[in-house]
Amino acid sequence: MLSERELERYKRQILLFGEEGQERLKASHIFIAGAGGLGSPIAIYLAVAGVGAITIVDMDVVDQSNLNRQILHSDRDIGKKKTVSALEKLREYNADITINAIDTTITEENIRELVGRADGIVDAMDNYPIRYLLNRVALEKKVPFFHGAIRGFYGQATTILPGKTPCLECIFPKAPPKEVFPVVGATPGVIGTVQATEVIKYLTGQGSLLDSRLFIWDGLTSTSEEIAVCRNPSCPACGDQADADKTTGKKK
Amino acid sequence: MSVKVRFFARFRELLGTDIVTEPKAGTSLAALVSGIAQKNKEGYDAIFDEQGSFREFVILMRNGKRVETADAGKTIVADGDEIAVFPPVAGG
Repeated sequence: MLSERELERYKRQILLFGEEGQERLKASHIFIAGAGGLGSPIAIYLAVAGVGAITIVDMDVVDQSNLNRQILHSDRDIGKKKTVSALEKLREYNADITINAIDTTITEENIRELVGRADGIVDAMDNYPIRYLLNRVALEKKVPFFHGAIRGFYGQATTILPGKTPCLECIFPKAPPKEVFPVVGATPGVIGTVQATEVIKYLTGQGSLLDSRLFIWDGLTSTSEEIAVCRNPSCPACGDQADADKTTGKKK
Repeated sequence: MSVKVRFFARFRELLGTDIVTEPKAGTSLAALVSGIAQKNKEGYDAIFDEQGSFREFVILMRNGKRVETADAGKTIVADGDEIAVFPPVAGG
Protein backbone atom coordinates (compact mmCIF):
# COMPACT_ATOMS: atom_id res chain seq x y z
CA MET A 1 0.00 0.00 0.00
CA LEU A 2 1.14 3.51 -0.70
CA SER A 3 1.21 5.92 2.21
CA GLU A 4 -0.44 9.35 2.10
CA ARG A 5 3.01 10.81 1.80
CA GLU A 6 3.86 8.59 -1.15
CA LEU A 7 0.57 9.39 -2.86
CA GLU A 8 1.45 13.05 -2.59
CA ARG A 9 5.09 12.64 -3.49
CA TYR A 10 4.37 10.67 -6.66
CA LYS A 11 1.14 12.48 -7.54
CA ARG A 12 2.30 13.75 -10.91
CA GLN A 13 3.46 10.35 -12.15
CA ILE A 14 0.49 8.50 -10.68
CA LEU A 15 -1.38 10.58 -13.25
CA LEU A 16 0.59 8.61 -15.85
CA PHE A 17 0.49 5.04 -14.60
CA GLY A 18 -1.89 5.01 -11.67
CA GLU A 19 -1.38 3.83 -8.09
CA GLU A 20 -0.94 0.35 -9.48
CA GLY A 21 2.08 1.46 -11.50
CA GLN A 22 3.51 3.22 -8.48
CA GLU A 23 3.01 0.07 -6.37
CA ARG A 24 4.92 -1.87 -9.00
CA LEU A 25 7.83 0.56 -8.84
CA LYS A 26 7.81 0.30 -5.05
CA ALA A 27 7.90 -3.50 -5.18
CA SER A 28 10.82 -3.54 -7.64
CA HIS A 29 14.54 -3.97 -7.20
CA ILE A 30 16.93 -2.62 -9.81
CA PHE A 31 20.64 -3.29 -10.05
CA ILE A 32 22.83 -0.46 -11.40
CA ALA A 33 26.39 -1.38 -12.40
CA GLY A 34 28.40 1.81 -11.91
CA ALA A 35 28.01 5.14 -10.09
CA GLY A 36 29.73 7.31 -12.68
CA GLY A 37 28.53 9.35 -15.67
CA LEU A 38 25.64 7.08 -16.64
CA GLY A 39 25.04 5.67 -13.16
CA SER A 40 24.44 9.14 -11.70
CA PRO A 41 21.36 10.18 -13.69
CA ILE A 42 20.06 6.61 -13.79
CA ALA A 43 20.22 6.23 -9.99
CA ILE A 44 18.83 9.71 -9.29
CA TYR A 45 15.84 9.32 -11.60
CA LEU A 46 15.04 5.80 -10.43
CA ALA A 47 15.31 6.94 -6.80
CA VAL A 48 13.00 9.92 -7.23
CA ALA A 49 10.56 7.78 -9.23
CA GLY A 50 10.22 5.54 -6.17
CA VAL A 51 11.83 2.30 -7.32
CA GLY A 52 11.62 0.44 -3.98
CA ALA A 53 15.12 -1.00 -3.90
CA ILE A 54 18.22 0.07 -5.77
CA THR A 55 21.55 -1.71 -5.63
CA ILE A 56 24.40 0.36 -7.02
CA VAL A 57 27.91 -1.00 -7.33
CA ASP A 58 31.17 0.86 -7.90
CA MET A 59 34.76 0.32 -6.83
CA ASP A 60 36.11 3.80 -7.45
CA VAL A 61 36.93 6.89 -5.43
CA VAL A 62 35.59 10.32 -6.45
CA ASP A 63 38.22 12.25 -8.39
CA GLN A 64 38.11 15.91 -9.37
CA SER A 65 38.13 14.95 -13.05
CA ASN A 66 34.85 13.02 -12.55
CA LEU A 67 32.87 16.10 -11.61
CA ASN A 68 32.11 17.35 -15.12
CA ARG A 69 29.66 14.50 -15.55
CA GLN A 70 29.16 12.36 -12.45
CA ILE A 71 26.40 14.38 -10.85
CA LEU A 72 25.95 12.08 -7.86
CA HIS A 73 29.25 13.50 -6.63
CA SER A 74 30.46 17.01 -5.93
CA ASP A 75 33.54 18.86 -4.66
CA ARG A 76 33.04 17.86 -1.05
CA ASP A 77 33.10 14.19 -2.07
CA ILE A 78 36.56 14.16 -3.63
CA GLY A 79 38.51 11.28 -2.11
CA LYS A 80 35.37 9.51 -0.84
CA LYS A 81 34.26 6.16 -2.12
CA LYS A 82 31.70 6.69 -4.87
CA THR A 83 29.37 4.32 -3.08
CA VAL A 84 29.48 6.45 0.10
CA SER A 85 28.81 9.61 -1.87
CA ALA A 86 26.07 7.91 -3.93
CA LEU A 87 24.33 6.57 -0.83
CA GLU A 88 24.30 10.02 0.79
CA LYS A 89 22.87 11.74 -2.30
CA LEU A 90 20.28 9.09 -3.07
CA ARG A 91 19.07 9.12 0.55
CA GLU A 92 18.71 12.88 0.33
CA TYR A 93 16.70 12.49 -2.85
CA ASN A 94 14.40 9.83 -1.45
CA ALA A 95 14.54 8.47 2.09
CA ASP A 96 11.55 6.18 1.49
CA ILE A 97 13.41 3.65 -0.65
CA THR A 98 16.10 1.08 0.12
CA ILE A 99 19.53 1.75 -1.32
CA ASN A 100 22.32 -0.80 -1.25
CA ALA A 101 25.58 0.83 -2.28
CA ILE A 102 28.26 -1.80 -2.64
CA ASP A 103 31.93 -0.92 -2.90
CA THR A 104 33.44 -3.69 -4.95
CA THR A 105 34.80 -4.60 -8.37
CA ILE A 106 32.32 -6.59 -10.44
CA THR A 107 33.80 -9.96 -11.37
CA GLU A 108 32.72 -13.25 -12.90
CA GLU A 109 32.82 -14.67 -9.35
CA ASN A 110 30.65 -12.14 -7.51
CA ILE A 111 28.25 -10.80 -10.13
CA ARG A 112 25.45 -13.36 -9.71
CA GLU A 113 25.30 -12.80 -5.99
CA LEU A 114 25.50 -9.01 -6.37
CA VAL A 115 22.56 -8.97 -8.77
CA GLY A 116 20.65 -11.39 -6.55
CA ARG A 117 16.95 -11.33 -7.35
CA ALA A 118 16.91 -7.88 -8.93
CA ASP A 119 14.18 -7.30 -11.52
CA GLY A 120 16.57 -5.72 -14.01
CA ILE A 121 20.21 -4.84 -14.60
CA VAL A 122 21.21 -1.38 -15.76
CA ASP A 123 24.47 -0.91 -17.62
CA ALA A 124 26.37 2.13 -16.36
CA MET A 125 29.80 0.67 -17.06
CA ASP A 126 32.63 2.15 -19.08
CA ASN A 127 34.00 -1.05 -20.60
CA TYR A 128 32.80 -3.98 -22.68
CA PRO A 129 34.28 -6.92 -20.74
CA ILE A 130 32.04 -6.13 -17.74
CA ARG A 131 29.11 -5.29 -20.03
CA TYR A 132 29.40 -8.73 -21.63
CA LEU A 133 29.40 -10.27 -18.15
CA LEU A 134 26.29 -8.30 -17.12
CA ASN A 135 24.64 -9.32 -20.41
CA ARG A 136 25.29 -13.02 -19.71
CA VAL A 137 24.00 -12.78 -16.15
CA ALA A 138 20.85 -11.03 -17.38
CA LEU A 139 20.36 -13.88 -19.90
CA GLU A 140 20.89 -16.50 -17.18
CA LYS A 141 18.52 -14.83 -14.75
CA LYS A 142 16.06 -13.92 -17.51
CA VAL A 143 15.85 -10.30 -16.45
CA PRO A 144 16.11 -7.29 -18.76
CA PHE A 145 19.43 -5.60 -19.39
CA PHE A 146 19.26 -1.87 -20.05
CA HIS A 147 22.34 -1.01 -22.11
CA GLY A 148 23.79 2.45 -22.51
CA ALA A 149 27.21 3.81 -23.56
CA ILE A 150 28.60 7.19 -24.48
CA ARG A 151 31.60 8.97 -25.95
CA GLY A 152 32.00 12.68 -26.50
CA PHE A 153 28.66 13.99 -27.74
CA TYR A 154 27.51 10.52 -28.86
CA GLY A 155 25.58 7.82 -27.14
CA GLN A 156 23.68 4.62 -27.69
CA ALA A 157 21.07 2.67 -25.77
CA THR A 158 19.00 -0.47 -26.17
CA THR A 159 16.88 -2.72 -23.97
CA ILE A 160 17.69 -6.40 -24.00
CA LEU A 161 14.90 -8.82 -23.12
CA PRO A 162 16.31 -12.36 -22.76
CA GLY A 163 14.77 -14.81 -25.21
CA LYS A 164 13.06 -12.02 -27.11
CA THR A 165 15.56 -9.49 -28.38
CA PRO A 166 19.15 -9.69 -29.56
CA CYS A 167 21.58 -9.62 -26.65
CA LEU A 168 24.57 -7.29 -26.32
CA GLU A 169 26.91 -9.83 -27.92
CA CYS A 170 24.58 -10.21 -30.91
CA ILE A 171 24.69 -6.45 -31.46
CA PHE A 172 28.33 -5.80 -30.54
CA PRO A 173 30.29 -9.04 -30.83
CA LYS A 174 33.63 -7.24 -30.49
CA ALA A 175 34.57 -4.52 -28.05
CA PRO A 176 36.06 -1.27 -29.34
CA PRO A 177 39.60 -0.55 -28.13
CA LYS A 178 40.07 0.88 -24.64
CA GLU A 179 40.75 4.60 -24.38
CA VAL A 180 40.39 7.58 -22.09
CA PHE A 181 37.17 8.73 -23.70
CA PRO A 182 36.27 12.40 -24.07
CA VAL A 183 32.87 13.34 -22.68
CA VAL A 184 30.69 16.28 -21.77
CA GLY A 185 28.36 15.54 -18.84
CA ALA A 186 25.17 16.27 -20.73
CA THR A 187 25.77 13.21 -22.95
CA PRO A 188 25.50 10.60 -20.16
CA GLY A 189 22.64 12.81 -18.98
CA VAL A 190 20.78 12.11 -22.23
CA ILE A 191 21.60 8.40 -22.40
CA GLY A 192 21.22 7.75 -18.65
CA THR A 193 17.76 9.28 -18.65
CA VAL A 194 16.82 7.20 -21.70
CA GLN A 195 17.89 4.10 -19.72
CA ALA A 196 15.98 5.24 -16.61
CA THR A 197 12.90 5.85 -18.77
CA GLU A 198 13.19 2.33 -20.16
CA VAL A 199 13.37 0.88 -16.63
CA ILE A 200 10.31 2.83 -15.49
CA LYS A 201 8.37 1.81 -18.60
CA TYR A 202 9.35 -1.81 -18.17
CA LEU A 203 8.37 -1.88 -14.50
CA THR A 204 5.05 -0.09 -15.00
CA GLY A 205 4.19 -1.72 -18.33
CA GLN A 206 3.96 1.58 -20.21
CA GLY A 207 4.68 2.31 -23.86
CA SER A 208 7.05 0.32 -26.05
CA LEU A 209 10.60 -0.47 -25.09
CA LEU A 210 13.82 -0.04 -27.10
CA ASP A 211 13.65 -3.77 -27.81
CA SER A 212 15.53 -4.96 -30.90
CA ARG A 213 16.24 -1.29 -31.57
CA LEU A 214 19.49 0.53 -31.03
CA PHE A 215 18.93 4.18 -30.18
CA ILE A 216 21.77 6.40 -31.37
CA TRP A 217 22.17 9.95 -30.16
CA ASP A 218 24.35 12.51 -31.92
CA GLY A 219 24.53 15.53 -29.64
CA LEU A 220 26.70 17.49 -32.09
CA THR A 221 23.86 17.72 -34.59
CA SER A 222 21.07 17.09 -32.06
CA THR A 223 19.76 14.17 -34.05
CA SER A 224 18.77 10.73 -32.95
CA GLU A 225 18.15 7.64 -34.95
CA GLU A 226 17.43 4.04 -34.41
CA ILE A 227 18.77 0.96 -36.06
CA ALA A 228 16.87 -2.30 -36.10
CA VAL A 229 19.04 -5.04 -34.61
CA CYS A 230 18.57 -8.79 -34.99
CA ARG A 231 19.47 -11.87 -32.99
CA ASN A 232 22.53 -13.75 -34.13
CA PRO A 233 21.61 -17.46 -34.18
CA SER A 234 25.25 -18.35 -33.58
CA CYS A 235 25.76 -15.79 -30.80
CA PRO A 236 28.07 -17.29 -28.17
CA ALA A 237 25.98 -15.75 -25.38
CA CYS A 238 22.37 -16.31 -26.46
CA GLY A 239 22.45 -18.33 -29.70
CA ASP A 240 21.17 -21.86 -30.17
CA GLN A 241 24.56 -23.34 -29.42
CA ALA A 242 24.84 -21.30 -26.21
CA ASP A 243 21.76 -23.09 -24.85
CA ALA A 244 23.11 -26.47 -25.92
CA ASP A 245 26.41 -25.73 -24.20
CA LYS A 246 24.55 -24.80 -21.06
CA THR A 247 22.48 -27.99 -20.89
CA THR A 248 25.48 -30.21 -21.48
CA GLY A 249 27.48 -28.23 -18.96
CA LYS A 250 30.18 -27.52 -21.53
CA LYS A 251 32.42 -24.69 -20.51
CA LYS A 252 32.21 -21.76 -22.86
CA MET B 1 23.35 4.00 -59.46
CA SER B 2 23.22 5.98 -56.26
CA VAL B 3 24.19 4.73 -52.80
CA LYS B 4 24.15 6.69 -49.58
CA VAL B 5 26.74 6.08 -46.88
CA ARG B 6 26.12 7.23 -43.34
CA PHE B 7 28.87 7.33 -40.76
CA PHE B 8 28.22 7.59 -37.05
CA ALA B 9 30.00 8.91 -33.96
CA ARG B 10 33.79 9.13 -34.31
CA PHE B 11 33.63 8.00 -37.93
CA ARG B 12 31.28 10.88 -38.66
CA GLU B 13 33.67 13.42 -37.14
CA LEU B 14 36.46 12.19 -39.38
CA LEU B 15 34.61 11.47 -42.60
CA GLY B 16 31.34 13.40 -42.58
CA THR B 17 28.06 11.68 -43.21
CA ASP B 18 25.20 11.17 -45.64
CA ILE B 19 27.66 10.78 -48.48
CA VAL B 20 25.90 10.04 -51.74
CA THR B 21 28.07 8.13 -54.20
CA GLU B 22 27.59 6.69 -57.64
CA PRO B 23 29.52 3.44 -57.61
CA LYS B 24 30.08 1.32 -60.70
CA ALA B 25 27.99 -1.81 -61.07
CA GLY B 26 29.50 -4.70 -59.15
CA THR B 27 31.13 -2.54 -56.46
CA SER B 28 31.36 -4.36 -53.13
CA LEU B 29 30.35 -2.86 -49.84
CA ALA B 30 33.95 -3.10 -48.63
CA ALA B 31 35.31 -1.29 -51.71
CA LEU B 32 32.68 1.42 -51.44
CA VAL B 33 33.39 2.23 -47.78
CA SER B 34 37.13 1.95 -48.29
CA GLY B 35 37.01 4.33 -51.25
CA ILE B 36 35.16 6.98 -49.26
CA ALA B 37 37.28 6.54 -46.15
CA GLN B 38 40.50 7.10 -48.08
CA LYS B 39 39.83 10.82 -48.25
CA ASN B 40 40.97 11.09 -44.63
CA LYS B 41 43.80 8.92 -43.35
CA GLU B 42 42.71 9.13 -39.74
CA GLY B 43 39.18 8.20 -40.76
CA TYR B 44 40.44 5.28 -42.83
CA ASP B 45 42.66 4.03 -40.01
CA ALA B 46 39.76 4.23 -37.57
CA ILE B 47 37.75 1.80 -39.72
CA PHE B 48 40.37 -0.38 -41.42
CA ASP B 49 43.47 -2.15 -40.12
CA GLU B 50 46.94 -2.30 -41.69
CA GLN B 51 45.85 -5.12 -44.00
CA GLY B 52 42.90 -3.06 -45.25
CA SER B 53 40.35 -5.24 -43.46
CA PHE B 54 37.55 -3.79 -41.38
CA ARG B 55 38.52 -3.48 -37.73
CA GLU B 56 36.74 -6.20 -35.79
CA PHE B 57 34.45 -3.90 -33.80
CA VAL B 58 33.08 -1.96 -36.80
CA ILE B 59 29.34 -2.40 -37.36
CA LEU B 60 28.05 -2.36 -40.95
CA MET B 61 24.40 -2.12 -41.89
CA ARG B 62 22.82 -2.20 -45.31
CA ASN B 63 19.26 -0.90 -45.46
CA GLY B 64 18.90 -1.48 -41.74
CA LYS B 65 20.22 -5.03 -41.86
CA ARG B 66 23.51 -6.14 -40.43
CA VAL B 67 26.26 -7.23 -42.82
CA GLU B 68 29.16 -9.10 -41.24
CA THR B 69 32.34 -7.20 -42.06
CA ALA B 70 33.87 -10.50 -43.23
CA ASP B 71 31.17 -10.66 -45.93
CA ALA B 72 31.49 -7.03 -47.03
CA GLY B 73 33.95 -7.91 -49.81
CA LYS B 74 31.42 -10.14 -51.53
CA THR B 75 28.32 -8.04 -50.81
CA ILE B 76 27.52 -6.04 -53.94
CA VAL B 77 25.78 -2.70 -53.42
CA ALA B 78 22.62 -1.87 -55.35
CA ASP B 79 20.92 1.34 -56.46
CA GLY B 80 19.17 3.08 -53.58
CA ASP B 81 21.11 1.25 -50.85
CA GLU B 82 21.70 3.04 -47.61
CA ILE B 83 24.83 1.94 -45.80
CA ALA B 84 25.51 2.69 -42.14
CA VAL B 85 28.98 2.38 -40.63
CA PHE B 86 29.50 2.83 -36.92
CA PRO B 87 31.66 2.02 -33.95
CA PRO B 88 30.14 0.94 -30.67
CA VAL B 89 30.85 3.62 -28.05
CA ALA B 90 32.22 2.38 -24.77
CA GLY B 91 32.18 5.12 -22.16
CA GLY B 92 29.87 5.34 -19.20
